[in-house]
Amino acid sequence: MLAVQPLIEPGTQRLLATVFMFVALAQGWNLIGGFTGYASFGQVAFFGIGAYTAAVLMTNYHVSFWAAMPAAIVGGVLFAVLIGAPLLRLRGHYFAIATLGAAEGAREVVNNLTPLTGGGVGITVPTFGAQAPTPYFGKPGFYIAFLVLAVLSIAVCALLARSRFGYAMVAVHEDEAAAGAVGINTTAVKVVAFAISGAIVAAAGAFYAFQQIQFYPESVFDASITVLMVIMVVIGGSGTILGPIAGAVGLELLSQYLRINLGLYNQLIFGAIIVVVVVFFPQGIVNFFRDAIRERRFSPLDNIRRYRL
Amino acid sequence: MILEVRNLARRFGGVWALRDVSFSVEEGEILGVIGPNGAGKTTLINLITGHLRPTSGQVVIGGSDVTGRRPWVIAHGGVARTFQIVKPFRGLTVRENVAIGAMHGNHHDRTVHEALATADHLLELVGIASRAGAAPGELSVADARRLELAKALASRPRLLLIDEVMAGLRQQEIEAAVSLIHRLRESGITIVAVEHVMKAIVSISDRILVLHQGAILTSGAPSDVLADERVVEAYLGSRFAKRRLN
Repeated sequence: MLAVQPLIEPGTQRLLATVFMFVALAQGWNLIGGFTGYASFGQVAFFGIGAYTAAVLMTNYHVSFWAAMPAAIVGGVLFAVLIGAPLLRLRGHYFAIATLGAAEGAREVVNNLTPLTGGGVGITVPTFGAQAPTPYFGKPGFYIAFLVLAVLSIAVCALLARSRFGYAMVAVHEDEAAAGAVGINTTAVKVVAFAISGAIVAAAGAFYAFQQIQFYPESVFDASITVLMVIMVVIGGSGTILGPIAGAVGLELLSQYLRINLGLYNQLIFGAIIVVVVVFFPQGIVNFFRDAIRERRFSPLDNIRRYRL
Repeated sequence: MILEVRNLARRFGGVWALRDVSFSVEEGEILGVIGPNGAGKTTLINLITGHLRPTSGQVVIGGSDVTGRRPWVIAHGGVARTFQIVKPFRGLTVRENVAIGAMHGNHHDRTVHEALATADHLLELVGIASRAGAAPGELSVADARRLELAKALASRPRLLLIDEVMAGLRQQEIEAAVSLIHRLRESGITIVAVEHVMKAIVSISDRILVLHQGAILTSGAPSDVLADERVVEAYLGSRFAKRRLN
């Protein structure tokens, strides 16, 4: 990897770092939204909490990044348990709306904890000289950091998916009454899945905070980050390991390409492409190809008919 | 005594689905529970397995009071059930459906690999080994019921509650189900079978409990229960009962 690294331009490294970050975010969302079937629309709360936990520790308490990042993960897990215990009793739209509200609430708390977080004027992580608890990684450093984060997220999710816990998540997704009847503690499965999901997203938030140096509550608690996670997983194929990877890589590269080459209308075209893909492959690209190969039915039109609601 | 139900009652809004129901089941027994539609049969199962909380009364399993405990706690105590409307995990194969019970139930397998082996064994037992790789949605009504039974057995129960596993089956399929239930009892499992199909349940039960409008109408040996005119009346209406007596 280090040998290849000089071959990649700094600009491309930056782009790929963002792609890798979204791979981790999508894997994280997929655990609760895909495997367990609880669509969290407040997942960005973990991102913001991770970012602010790391930044506050590094800025105010001179804690090194390598201690601040695990603390950010702990923060994500605590928040998941705190809001998960009551909210995971809700299903469907109600859970989605409640988590959305929880994320908005978390942002406002950060906004108002001015002595600690700097409030609305944002926070700046010291990155140079004696003031910096950890020297700045630079573009190549963050490129590698996000790559490692993405690979670890994939590995964690892949191991979970093949475990007893993975089957328990799917059982909860399919039918909670039936899952309980065969001895699955559905409450524990939901809370743990939410916590692991939150931990992955919070870790990404910590890396993002350090990479950005300066940021605001509005930028790291931005609901559109949640929306991107959801779209990436749904388009790629929820409840699979390859799906979130395909969705994050595909959509992030497409979005950057359109922004550079289409100018004014790039968002419109990006949105239109998402609509078309969802209409043709409602179960996600990876699930479509898995079924298509197994059943030898490759026609997308056939697929639309099959999944029409 | 493996199961004891004491003064169990459950109200839905203004309607009592079950009122003051008390009975007990001995280890190794097959108890049949019959009753017309709306008698409270499924509610009774849901109250025993923790899928519903009773309004009042107690459920005692293996000597310990489990009233109001969550379903998985009761499952870990060695109680398994089937659902009247089958509840397969649709996104998984038939084999994986059964393996989940083996992974998480009473005395569960440590690894996914072991659980899948247990599942293969149970699919053989209920007679759908050839459908192991299929999706649950592809199964016939009879095979879906067999899957439901295999899922329940995978959690290694001491007490098995089956909710209308024979409804909608053909004669030949009913015979296969009856012989399977006999084999399960011989392997040491106590069975409470809720059924609407009278003929089948009479042939397998040691004792029959009749529910009517949420209360126990009568209970006893199958032949006595069937001879009871109140049972005929509950099932077929009072006019029919009178006509038969005349």
